[in-house]
Amino acid sequence: MKLDVEARVVRPGGFDLDAAISCEAPTVGIVGPSGSGKSTLLDAIAGIEPGARVVLDGDDVSRKPLHHRWVGYVTQDALLFPHLSVRANLLFSPRAGPLGEVPAALGIERLLDRMPRNLSGGERRRVALARAILSRPRLLLLDEPFAGLDEARRREAMSLLASLRERFRLPVILVSHVAEEIIGLAEWAVRLEAGRVVRAGPSASVLRAGETRIDNYLTGTVVGERRVRVDGVDLAAGIPSSASGEVRLACYAADIILAREPPRAISARNCFQAVVRSLTEAEEMIIVEVEPPRLRAVVTPEALRELAITPGSPVVVIAKATAFAHVGAA
Amino acid sequence: MNAVELSLTVGVASTLISLPFAVAMAVYLERTRSRVRHAVQTIIMLPLVLPPVVVGYLLLEVFSPIGPLGRALARLGVPVAFHWLGAVTAAAVVGFPLFVLMIALALKAVDPRFERVSRSLGVSPWKTFWRVTLPLTWPGILAGAAVAFARGLGEFGATIIVAGRIPGETQTIPLQIYAELDAPGGERRIVGLVLTSCAACLVLVALSRVLDTWYRRRLELDR
Repeated sequence: MKLDVEARVVRPGGFDLDAAISCEAPTVGIVGPSGSGKSTLLDAIAGIEPGARVVLDGDDVSRKPLHHRWVGYVTQDALLFPHLSVRANLLFSPRAGPLGEVPAALGIERLLDRMPRNLSGGERRRVALARAILSRPRLLLLDEPFAGLDEARRREAMSLLASLRERFRLPVILVSHVAEEIIGLAEWAVRLEAGRVVRAGPSASVLRAGETRIDNYLTGTVVGERRVRVDGVDLAAGIPSSASGEVRLACYAADIILAREPPRAISARNCFQAVVRSLTEAEEMIIVEVEPPRLRAVVTPEALRELAITPGSPVVVIAKATAFAHVGAA
Repeated sequence: MNAVELSLTVGVASTLISLPFAVAMAVYLERTRSRVRHAVQTIIMLPLVLPPVVVGYLLLEVFSPIGPLGRALARLGVPVAFHWLGAVTAAAVVGFPLFVLMIALALKAVDPRFERVSRSLGVSPWKTFWRVTLPLTWPGILAGAAVAFARGLGEFGATIIVAGRIPGETQTIPLQIYAELDAPGGERRIVGLVLTSCAACLVLVALSRVLDTWYRRRLELDR
């Protein structure tokens, strides 16, 4: 998706947003502290905040009202219509077609005849996401979709979003105050502070020192006990012995170790050859992207020099089996 | 019609006629950013603060056979002054401010983000109002209707000026009570009328509370 946005918003009380974004990426992240203008910028893209210039894939939607922009807007509060059942919520949009595979993809098939008041918080968010996907948007806008979730639920939800994005080919703009969430999902990111863009570029480049809990999301097929094949590579993973079929895994970038040659006699069960795809500089660290499978690792500039890692160079990837956590069925 | 039948008819008719206008006015006051809405709100609230007899006099000026609206309506065969429709008009006007206030309060309680989500799903603002806002505002509309009905049921000053006190035609319960004060044996009939009024209002209030609680629980609106 090609995105061009210029937004200027002045609010009583002194806050003003003056931001411009121009990028082309399937997923764009907007990160910043509370009050930095992230949600205001998202509202401007949606057309809720008037006056912004917004061009999506060459289509200038600046003058179009929200109901003509074909954007799916999902907030952390889900906002399911309380007077309608889950099924009626899902089919609310006049653009919605048959439910198809969407309920199964989000694990909500058994909830269709329930009322929103009988759903848990996590279930409501998944229904809200399904409702947005079913409205056939050209773009999904997600405002802090993982806020309030504990670590395990957050990883599960982020992994789910990563797989949905691939499955339904949906461009996404994702807002979060947690940079690592953005980096885990977005190819391009913008960091906002006090209503201004302070950094923009490949998502890893907007990271600050200390923001290293970047997650890798993988989908693979169980090929043996605690073994998952991802992009042709068999990984030892921390999955239940009863797991089968397609599964989703998550692995922190900080848990990936890179080496020039395979180590001898090591406890880590994963040790395989890969190729360096890209290097991105962040504050005081380098994000190294390797494949296959596509993984990000975090290394220091010194390590990068010592290992002579460059794009295209071979590298050995080392990780413990427990580093690849099972976050759900695909 | 006797006084009870007439009062109930006037109450129901005035509430139903006011309903669409009260909803429209509440939406205008709560959901638009019109610069004149505060002035409009002040005018709408006037019947709440003016003496009912003054309201009645103003209505008579407008709806009498020589008044601007009364003349036009008479040509269409719709009499208002000194007719039971005059009682309906008086009840509708004096109950209108409260009706609007209750609906506006309910509208204020509806999270505007629901409407935003609806529009993001491709639903126009008009259809969003019908499919989202209105269903979530029902408790307030019911409460407003109950209050407007009760207010109309008890209206005296404006009714007696606009509709007059014609037994069987425009003599509602309050007017009948007033007439019975001087009539021999009137006290007994007054007691009956008073009890009927109280019973009607109690049933109405209880019904609207039950419906309101049921609806809120169903939608978890108090969450």
